[in-house]
Amino acid sequence: MKNKRLKRAAGILLSTILILGSFAGCTKKDGGTEGSTSSNGAGENQEGTAMGRFLEEDVELPIVLGNIYDVKKLEDGAIRMIGDNGDNGNKEAWDSKDSGDSWEKAYDFPEELQDADNGYIDYGALSEDGQAVFVYNKIEDSGIKPVIYVLDKEGKASVLPFEIPQSEEGMKALAMDIQFLGNDQLLIMDINNTVYQVSTADGSVKQTYEFESSEEEVRNYAVGKRMLATIGTEPLSYDTENGEQQSTEEVLQKSLSESGNIDAVSTLDGGESLYYLTSKGLYHYQFGGNVAEQVIDGGMNSLGAPAFYPIALTMIDEQSLLIAANDENSESPTGVALLKYTYSPDVPAKPEKELKVYSLRNNRELGQSISRFQKENPDIYVNYQVALSEESGMTVSDALKTLTTEIMAGKGPDLILLDGMPVDTYIEKGILRDLSPVLKESEGDYYENIINAYKDDEGQLCAVPARFKIPMAHGSGKDYTPGEDFDTFTSRQGVLAGVDPKILMDKFWYTCGASWKKEDGTLDASKITEFLTKMKNAYGEYDKSIEEDERTLSYAYANNEGIDVVRLTSLSWGEFDLLAGKVKVNTGLYESQEYGMLNAVNEKLENGDWGLMPGQSQNVFVPSMIVGVSSKSAQPETAEQFAKYLFSPEAQKVSQRGGFPVEKESFLSVIDGHEYEGMESLISGGSAGNSDVHISYAMEPTPQEEIQRMTEMVESLVTPALGDDVIKEAVSEQGEKVLKGEISPEEATEAIMQKINIYLAE
Amino acid sequence: MKKKRKSMRGFLWIFPSFLGVLLFYLLPYADVIRRSFVGAVDNHFVGLKNYQMIFENTAFLLAVKNTVLFTVICIPMLIVTALVCAVVLYQSKYGGLIKSAFLMPMALPAVSVALVWRLLFHSQGLVNHWLGKFGVTESDWMNTPNAFWILVFSYIWKNLGYDIVLWMAGLSGISEGIYEAARVDGADERQIFFKITLPNLKPSLYTITVLSFLNSFKVFREAYLVAGDYPHESIYMMQHLFNNWFRSFSFDKMAAAAVVESAVLLGLILLLQKAWDSGDGYETG
Repeated sequence: MKNKRLKRAAGILLSTILILGSFAGCTKKDGGTEGSTSSNGAGENQEGTAMGRFLEEDVELPIVLGNIYDVKKLEDGAIRMIGDNGDNGNKEAWDSKDSGDSWEKAYDFPEELQDADNGYIDYGALSEDGQAVFVYNKIEDSGIKPVIYVLDKEGKASVLPFEIPQSEEGMKALAMDIQFLGNDQLLIMDINNTVYQVSTADGSVKQTYEFESSEEEVRNYAVGKRMLATIGTEPLSYDTENGEQQSTEEVLQKSLSESGNIDAVSTLDGGESLYYLTSKGLYHYQFGGNVAEQVIDGGMNSLGAPAFYPIALTMIDEQSLLIAANDENSESPTGVALLKYTYSPDVPAKPEKELKVYSLRNNRELGQSISRFQKENPDIYVNYQVALSEESGMTVSDALKTLTTEIMAGKGPDLILLDGMPVDTYIEKGILRDLSPVLKESEGDYYENIINAYKDDEGQLCAVPARFKIPMAHGSGKDYTPGEDFDTFTSRQGVLAGVDPKILMDKFWYTCGASWKKEDGTLDASKITEFLTKMKNAYGEYDKSIEEDERTLSYAYANNEGIDVVRLTSLSWGEFDLLAGKVKVNTGLYESQEYGMLNAVNEKLENGDWGLMPGQSQNVFVPSMIVGVSSKSAQPETAEQFAKYLFSPEAQKVSQRGGFPVEKESFLSVIDGHEYEGMESLISGGSAGNSDVHISYAMEPTPQEEIQRMTEMVESLVTPALGDDVIKEAVSEQGEKVLKGEISPEEATEAIMQKINIYLAE
Repeated sequence: MKKKRKSMRGFLWIFPSFLGVLLFYLLPYADVIRRSFVGAVDNHFVGLKNYQMIFENTAFLLAVKNTVLFTVICIPMLIVTALVCAVVLYQSKYGGLIKSAFLMPMALPAVSVALVWRLLFHSQGLVNHWLGKFGVTESDWMNTPNAFWILVFSYIWKNLGYDIVLWMAGLSGISEGIYEAARVDGADERQIFFKITLPNLKPSLYTITVLSFLNSFKVFREAYLVAGDYPHESIYMMQHLFNNWFRSFSFDKMAAAAVVESAVLLGLILLLQKAWDSGDGYETG
């Protein structure tokens, strides 16, 4: 009897453990990883909300700065900044005794450094005692000769008796970076990634650190008496007293592998600990410690914006810091900004409102707009989630299934960028809200032909492209005439030879795919056969040698990795091939103003011109950055507020090569090249891979007649390209085989229809 | 009173398990039935419209046809092949060792199998390379009707070992005494197989059929990994359709199809059970 009770008790106990165990397995793991945590030094208020956050503000400068070389808090507590005056190019040092609130000029650089005719300053740095050092690249008959000038606190210059040694390979002795190590030594990195530790007193070399040249960028930073070098995200620490490498900082290494390259560093305790800036924000790490703490989350301010390029970081104290940067969001006309971050214990650690924004692939324009929107709305945190990245290894199909689950569970994004998604299906299923009231309220004047790409029968705009791309062609008069039809263009045998077959199929999909869909939603097989037959004629015989081409290889790589392959179908990508005569006609998507390059290439062609890409459909455009607000969003007003912002002239003017703005004034601002006004001497150019084909052209404002031509072209666009990736993939796969001569157009059409019929029937 | 308390105690013992079944199977299934009568996202009652939609949907009809065809061809082939192998192995002294070898495919992850399949049956794969040596022209195997037979082969290859083990377990349950008595009575090997072995394996047949049937659904993993969301139409199965419907928020059609499918499956299993129950005194319970 006793034994029976014991068995029963044991049974109950085991069952309880099993049940509890199964529930324990379901609990959500919380908190950061060992390598990096996010605390932001936040406390909690009475309601249990974490409080305290660094707030960003633009520092008002007395002059417009054309460039900042360095900014540093000095030993006496003042902040010193060295840079170029944007108005007259004068090089100056400025001091602030009140942490950046007011500034006064400390000195003008000596004449030898102001001499812009015979050289230019490439790099500059400050020490904590107020000295400054510059690499002045003197232009001599034999080439560029770097001269290193050291300025004392008052700005008196002397030349450092040190010359960068010429490498054995005969590489030019050029400096790539310079900075102070303490107040009496310098770290100078040359073009071969060799770092020289040099005394400022006599120019003698104390230590030399050699880093093998690799594809990863090598940077070095002085932190107290330590030199911290990074090869990509791999940190290496050196004792500058004896030049020896110290043990690996594994926690820092792990943190950098998650947060990316270091852009700038600073320290408050003589180098015992390190503040470092990456695109994910500001971090603090105690050398030898077991945690790298995120002090500022870059996702909540300018630090995470795609077009934010930090120049220098200086910690004023634990609760405030300054960052100098090239920042496209800045109000400064030159884009050079000084930002101050101050800790405020009274604001929530994270803004109370969180807006989830989702896209399949990273969208730089969106990233930039998010950063600016947050700056204007500090109470809203925009959480931008990108489904596909090189690290995720996820397919589009997987990502869409995850998105479906999240939306249906009520945890989905509030605003979705619908590029690459089945837009029509989402509209049909009622996943998206009507955005027409939002656009009506917006202050901009839009190209109606573009924004109405997805207008439904009831006049609702559930998906609206915020940008668009134009399929265009460029070639000499005998191969291409703007405005000609698809039949005439493809009747010229071999006119499209030399292009990778898959890339070519992807390009012509845009101008032809839209004509295949019949009114009942099925595809017109005869049109697909016609398309493939004509494309084969225009392509001619397949030349296997293009498989070795660098660009084809990169396409294959991009395709397998699932990263954005759109750039490879851009018009600008193929311009050098056209210049080098590898292709007769360059086709692709025109996604940002490239007038200078197009014109320069055109001048080398015989009766060359560019215009819309011929296709079975006429006047096609490719909707891009397609905005949709989820009908399941818990905060539709905030989502619509952000959608409205994306269509505002301010956000529309952001240009990161992701398409032209749909707002008319912004479109003109993006294509008119106003940024090159008064900069006639600015020359751009490049060469085609390993070939000896070079081109150079002046960066100038776009001529009025070209602006007029572009505007008329945009107004003529009426057909949105088919945005269905499943059909596109099927056509691309089979079309490639046709162009390679492996199967006939009829066989390819049969295979396409077989797959697509199932898809359309679903 | 004591009996009632005893039965109550029994219920308490199965309660945790029942709770799990209720939470993770019965309630979600009830929700699926509810969803089969409402719109995909708006949840408005639509009556039988979803059922009407799926029976007019050619993709659904194709998937049903392929799934039924696959099941009808594969399961008898697998059961018979496994039985023949099991009988031969049972009589062999190395049977145990060889049986383990047959189980190897089950230990291989589906992703690895799919990778091998790709290497073999790609248009520029190994099979084409080998056949090319004999002058056979290249074929894109997974994009032709051959894809169906590749999938059938894949299913049998993967599940053969498991069914052999089940058959051998059934064979070991037959008393040697019956065989000896039959031999004494002058029965030859053929008579012994058909009159003694087969009838005695009947209880195993039910289990093996149901398990093979359920395993046949898992072949989708290989098909999906090799050919993606839209494979050749001959291997477009119910799971492809469900997978694609889920991605496009077609929960209305998914729910209706799931109800129809589960009703058919339940009917089949009940029929199968009834057929066995009405046999020679075999009790499934």
